[in-house]
Formats: sequence, C-alpha cells, structure tokens
Amino acid sequence: MIVSATLVAFALMLAMMLIGIPIAVAMLIVGMGGGVIAYGMPFINSVASVIWGVQNESLLTAIPMFVLLGELLLRSGIADRMYLALSAWLARLPGGLLHTNIGCCALFAATSGSSVATAATIGTVALPSLHQRGYSMRHALGTLAAGGTLGILIPPSVNLIIYGSLTNNSIGKLFIAGLIPGVLLTLLFMAYIFATHVGRDAGLVQPEAEVPLAQRLRLLVHLVPPLIVFGVVMGSLYFGIATATESAALGVSIALVFAWRSGRLSLAMLQTCFHQTARISGMILLIITTAFILNLTISLTGVADALTKWVTSFGLTAISLLFALIVFYLILGMFMDVLSMQVATIPLTYPIVTALGVDPIWFGVFIVLMCELGMITPPVGMNLFVVHGIRPDKGDIRDAIWGALPYALMMILFTILLIFAPQIVTWLPERM
Amino acid sequence: MRRIEAILANLFGVIFLGLAAVVTIETLSRKLFNFSLQGADELGGYALAVGSTLAFSLALIGRNHIRVDVFHELLPRRVKAALNWLSIVLLAAMAILFVAVSLRVLQESLEYRSTAQTPWATPLIYPQSAWYAGLVIFMLVAVGFAARATWLLAKRRIDELNEAFHPRSSKEELRQEIEDYRQRSGAEPKERP
Repeated sequence: MIVSATLVAFALMLAMMLIGIPIAVAMLIVGMGGGVIAYGMPFINSVASVIWGVQNESLLTAIPMFVLLGELLLRSGIADRMYLALSAWLARLPGGLLHTNIGCCALFAATSGSSVATAATIGTVALPSLHQRGYSMRHALGTLAAGGTLGILIPPSVNLIIYGSLTNNSIGKLFIAGLIPGVLLTLLFMAYIFATHVGRDAGLVQPEAEVPLAQRLRLLVHLVPPLIVFGVVMGSLYFGIATATESAALGVSIALVFAWRSGRLSLAMLQTCFHQTARISGMILLIITTAFILNLTISLTGVADALTKWVTSFGLTAISLLFALIVFYLILGMFMDVLSMQVATIPLTYPIVTALGVDPIWFGVFIVLMCELGMITPPVGMNLFVVHGIRPDKGDIRDAIWGALPYALMMILFTILLIFAPQIVTWLPERM
Repeated sequence: MRRIEAILANLFGVIFLGLAAVVTIETLSRKLFNFSLQGADELGGYALAVGSTLAFSLALIGRNHIRVDVFHELLPRRVKAALNWLSIVLLAAMAILFVAVSLRVLQESLEYRSTAQTPWATPLIYPQSAWYAGLVIFMLVAVGFAARATWLLAKRRIDELNEAFHPRSSKEELRQEIEDYRQRSGAEPKERP
C-alpha cells in the first residue's frame, strides 16, 4: 500500500516537473501533501523548524561560497587564460586542439561548477579556431559537450555538496572521492581522441605550429592561479585542516588576490559575481529547502524502509540494482536537468542502495556520473544545446548529439568499471 | 526593480565576502597560532540563513528558479500562459506558506529566550529576525510578480504574460555568458601573446 502510494506520488511529482511547474514547488507539494495526509496539521509546524534548520546549516554555506569562487575565477579572466597555456602544450598530440578542449574543461571544472559557463567560455575561444583549421565540427562539439560535464565530477562540485547534504555524508570525502574518477575519465576521453586521430591529422587545413619551448614555459604562468586555488582547497580538505566551507572561503580569499593582481578586480566585476552567485545559489538553496521537507515526510512515514523491503523482496543483488539504476537515470536524464534529477531521486534511491551494502561515498560519485550522462543525452542535454549555440558555422544539432555519443558510451562503460572496481572511488577517501 | 535587485545583490555579496574573510582569518590563526576565534561556523550558518533568503528573491527576479522546459516549448500559447501563470502563483503561495509557518520559529525563540548551543550563546532571535525579514522580502517580490501575472491574464495579454514569465532557457543563459566573455576579453590587459 505504502509502496504504491509512494510510486504514485513520485510519478505525480515527475509529471508536475515535466509540464514546467518549478522544481521546488513540485517537491514542496508532494512533501507537504504526503506529510499532511499522514500526520494532519501538526506536520506543518515541524516544517518551520526544517526551513530554519536547512538555512542555518553551516555545511550548506559551502554552496554559495564555491559558486562565488568559480564566479571570481571566471569573471576575472583567470580561467580564460588557461586555454592559451594548455593549447600550447597539448596541441601537438594527434587530435590536436581537441585535447586542449578536454584538458581545459577539466581544469576549468576544477575551479568552477557551472557547465554552461565552462562550455560557453571554452567554446567561444576554441570553436572558431577549430573551424578555421578544418577540424570536424562533430568531433569539436563532442569534446566540448563532454568536457563540460567533467565540472560536476571533478571537485569542487556543487552537485557533490548537494548529495552530501541530502544524505548526511562528508563533503570532504566526497570531493576527494571524485578526484581519481574525474582524472581517469579525463584521460579516457583524451585516449579516445588520441586513438581516433593518430595518423589522421593530415587532413587538417592548418596543423598546429610548434610553439617554442621558451614561450611554452612562459605560458605556464597562466596555470599557476587556478592550480594554487585548487591545491589549497583540496589540500586543506584532504589533510583535515579545513571543512568544506572553510576551504571554499580560503579559495575565495586567494582568488580575490589573483583577481586583484591581474588588474581585473573592479566594482562592476564584483557586482556581476554577486548577482550570478546569488541567483545560482538562490535557485539551488530553494530546491534544497523543499527537498529537506520532502525528506522529512519520507523519513517520518517510513517510506524509505517500505520501499527498500519491496525492492529487496525481488532478490536483486546490489550489482543488478545498480545496472537497473543506470538505465533508470539514463532515461530520466534525457528529460530532466541535473539538479532536479538529483534532488528528486536521491531520497528514494539512497536508502535502498545503501541497504544493499553499496558504499555511500561511492554512490555519490555514481549519481554524479549519471548526471553527467544526462547533460549530453538528447533530447534535453543541456551541454548539447550550449555547444550547438556557439558553433560558428550553421549546422544541425545532430552534429553535437553524434559527436557526444562516444563520450556518453564511455561514461556508461566507465560507470560499469566503477561497479566492478569500486576501489577506484573509495581508495583515496579511506586514506584521509 | 533594478535598484532593489542591485541593493539585494550587493548585500548578499558583502555578506559572503565578509564571511570568507572572517573564516580565512579564523582558519589561519587556528592552524598557525593555535588560537581559535570560535564561532566562524556559527557565523556561516547565519550568513547562509540571511543570504539564502536574499538569494531566493534574486533568483526569482532573474527567473532562475528551475523549470523543465522541454515539453513547455511544444505547447500552444494559451496552455503555456496558463502554466506560466500557475507557476508564479504557486511560487508566491510557497513564499506565503514559508512566511506563515516560520513565524512560529521566531515566537518560540522569543518565548523560551533561546540561545545558540555555541560558545557565543547568541540569542537566536537576532539572526532569526534578519532571516525572517529576508523571507518577507521574498514573499513580497513573489506576490508582486503573481499579481502582475494575474492582471496580465485577466486582461488577456497572453503574449506579454508568456514573455515575462516563461521558463528561462539555456539559450538565454548562454547568450549572457557569451556576452560576458566578450566583455572580459575586450578588456583583456595587453599581456596576451
């Protein structure tokens, strides 16, 4: 009974989301509706303390802080200059500038959380020169769309903070856990480009000229600020010097110094950062607030237990459940954006999966990988639209979709690899 | 509206830059001199409480509260208008609900003279009042928008309604980012090779 009621409520919530009701409202309606049906009016009183509790949670302060950090590095142009440095170093590999796209996206990801900003910035710099030099648009768009997704896996990642706060897991551990898979996935993408381009660069109109070593070394200067910020944030987390919020605050302070040194720190720049940070965090925090209200209903009514018993009654093993979840998230990701997908499903899938013995930190990385996949699967792949929107020639969106397809397949295979070799994720955080 | 938006955004920014400064100093002094100011964590909580309510309003003004727009685009304009109207009215209803139930939190803090469970023992009513004020601003903005949407709907100004309240698409976001990038690179110092 409770299981079917839950499934109906979940379907109702998805339906409301898909017709375009604001995500936060859809979650609130289901959360409040369920709570009031089960407990009557007294439930409303407990909602008040949830609202204050969530918004006074110093853990979640990490969200606006990391968003602000990313904005500062982006708007001060620090992130833009990384492209120059990386293209000088990576462009001579088979596949040339395509490697720069992936590498740059990964580095960008290490400093900023916004995939739109990542793809827009790198795409605007890269696509015209890729086009001019005769790279296939399909390949170029695919690398940018796929590279842009790395941002939510490679820490700092707002999506990992959201997972951690919804499931009560250490943000620090989640960040550290995202590191090795993030780097491996980046290398996997680059290996694919290498393999598909080795010996075929002859078709290029204008192959890369070799940049003299002296100049290449000079360009490395541009990598220093992002690497220092990343090093301080991750280092302070790894060695237990700072909490997630504190490490973000350290990052913000350092980013301010670099922005000032680059001569780009101005009142107008700061105001743009404030505006963007407030809008993005306001959107995220409102959804999180309602997600916690929904969570309260779920935990009070024992829905999670009932659902877990129901699912385990099929005698599924953890591995077969995870495979089923890959399919589930693949389909959901075709229609929903990443954040909504996360908050709508984690409260239900997390208890089931952990009851079957899956490591909670590992599952966080799994969820984020599924979200990444959702960003490049049609019809609603955010990154597909973004890279399509900046391409210099007039082409079809199908180029972006086909270009990104190999990367989507690699992500699925990579996830399957993680299922059979979970140590890739859990090894590093266990050493903290 | 622009003025209010700018004031709220600046306030938000100052709160978090200030917090970053305090937390940085606190973390450094704790690690280097083994001296803790304490309370940076607590301050972070209050900053979030106030900052998030301001951010709710700013996200509302910027139409950033996420709505899935995949099927929305395919609907006839009248249905779109109905959904756009419903969305903003529901958001306003949510804001009213938050304000109504949260009053209780304040009342309880006053009644029991609650203080934070921290070395500072801050009387909770202070941060909570600021937080509540933020929620009230969010409610006022949302109700104002809902009233405007209702008025447009009543006057059958469907296209205007859709123009003002449609879900924000990734295209719009992209255009903004590219615009910002152009400005950044236009103002680039001459050190580019």
